[in-house]
Amino acid sequence: MLRLFIHSSAWLSFSGLLLLSGFLLYASWPIFSEQGLYFIAESEWYPYEDLFGMLPALFGSLLSVGVALLIALPLGVAAALFNIEIVPSCLQPWLRLLMELMAGIPSVVYGLMGLWLLVPFLEQQLDLLTGRTLLAAALLLSVMVLPTIMVLSEDALRKVADDQRQRANALGLSWWAVVQRILLPQAWPGIRLATLLSLGRAMGETVAVMLVIGSIDRLPEPLYNLLQPAQSLTSRIGREMGEASVGSPHWSALMSSGLLLMLMSVAVVLLSQRRWFK
Amino acid sequence: MISNSRLSNITAPVQHPTTALQIDQLKLSIQGQPILHEISLSLPTSGITALIGPSGAGKSSLLHCINLLQQAWQGEITLHQKSIRQWPGGDEKLRRHIGLVAQKPTVFPTTIYRNVVFGIDGFWQRRNAHAIAEQALRQAALWGEVKDRLHAPAASLSLGQQQRLCLARALAIKPKLLLLDEPTASLDPKSKQLIEQALSQLASHIPLLLVSHNLEQAQRLGEQVIFMCEGKVIEQADCDTFFNHPQRVESKEFLRWAVCECD
Repeated sequence: MLRLFIHSSAWLSFSGLLLLSGFLLYASWPIFSEQGLYFIAESEWYPYEDLFGMLPALFGSLLSVGVALLIALPLGVAAALFNIEIVPSCLQPWLRLLMELMAGIPSVVYGLMGLWLLVPFLEQQLDLLTGRTLLAAALLLSVMVLPTIMVLSEDALRKVADDQRQRANALGLSWWAVVQRILLPQAWPGIRLATLLSLGRAMGETVAVMLVIGSIDRLPEPLYNLLQPAQSLTSRIGREMGEASVGSPHWSALMSSGLLLMLMSVAVVLLSQRRWFK
Repeated sequence: MISNSRLSNITAPVQHPTTALQIDQLKLSIQGQPILHEISLSLPTSGITALIGPSGAGKSSLLHCINLLQQAWQGEITLHQKSIRQWPGGDEKLRRHIGLVAQKPTVFPTTIYRNVVFGIDGFWQRRNAHAIAEQALRQAALWGEVKDRLHAPAASLSLGQQQRLCLARALAIKPKLLLLDEPTASLDPKSKQLIEQALSQLASHIPLLLVSHNLEQAQRLGEQVIFMCEGKVIEQADCDTFFNHPQRVESKEFLRWAVCECD
């Protein structure tokens, strides 16, 4: 009976994934059949003129997530090291609990905080017309994924055997040398996994990003300019899905954004598989 | 219990013309539990000193005090007439002068060569890392077995080879003192023999403090013997005297029954 339950659960999960992929492909098929794949590389998004260029939103998603990880990864690993190596052992569980609580806060709360604190702060400090920019989205995403990176990195660092650390200490290596040459290389698979999971979360984040990114469908000028309003795939879906009539090209284009996001998530999951790195 | 005044007579260190390591009145307590009681001993500038005693006698704790992996002790430890507490450059510099080989071979998850040069520091040492590695591997009687696969993973070596690699790693930092915590306890007879030969050769130029549960090994290798029990040094004597004419009742009991009661 248990065996049957386990088997059917596994098949149900697997078929769920196939069903979802099939549905997204079916729903976005009209736009693919009408415009081919070229619209993904186009930069004009005017639904009323049947222009569905995906590039600005795709670029906005990738840049905001990339910058968020560039900020969160070193901070998260440093926070994990700080908790293991520097914080007194009686306080370590409390710091970890704090991070776990942060990881569990609904993303809309982060979005509201970003809107209330981060956006005005950027406006004032950087003298911007609006603080709703790619930078705001990236900073907010980095805060959101920081707890995940910290908690998973801490787990990975704690798994490094004590005797390895002690032998390195006995050779007269400095604390930093032990961290650099023993702890980080051995914890790297766990840190990599934390990074990829965070990448997945950041890429799929909708509400918080939607509130602070500015939602303007154009590529930043120059491309690395983070101080301009931009768009992300999730933010666009969240904002426009309610307006698009079911079955219309607009609806189909938004579904294709969802398909693109799902493909990116699958790519991340595949990348996180350890065997690719052997 | 042996009174302190009696202990100080018993544990008076054997005088050597030149002393590498001197320990005076060393006390160690961990979480209120006394581990070492007023240890006093000395090591000559070369030769093997065997540190023997039953489990829980404080032998490994003593080694960890000497290289400051354990720092909560009181008393005085000097290496070549310099207090290790005030060692120039601090704890890390001190540990570069004191090699440690533990009971369990612990190799780092990298190549054989990188394991040997792991502790090498300083510009000139790094420039000569290959020569230093070769010398250390020769001293540890491992060069012949690994010279053609220095860049193979260290984990691919057998347990006995891994222990000799640990010995080479400790030797590559050119220690002034080598601490060995039962280095052959988990090894096969062949590996044991190779390590013992390596240690005998090393002992001609650096002092070795060898913790061993194997009395035959201590007798075979040691020039002097320190017998510890329940955190105290019961007897320190040259090897022949200790094994043939032990002075203390506890030593006689230990040699005969491998048990020790200091009370």
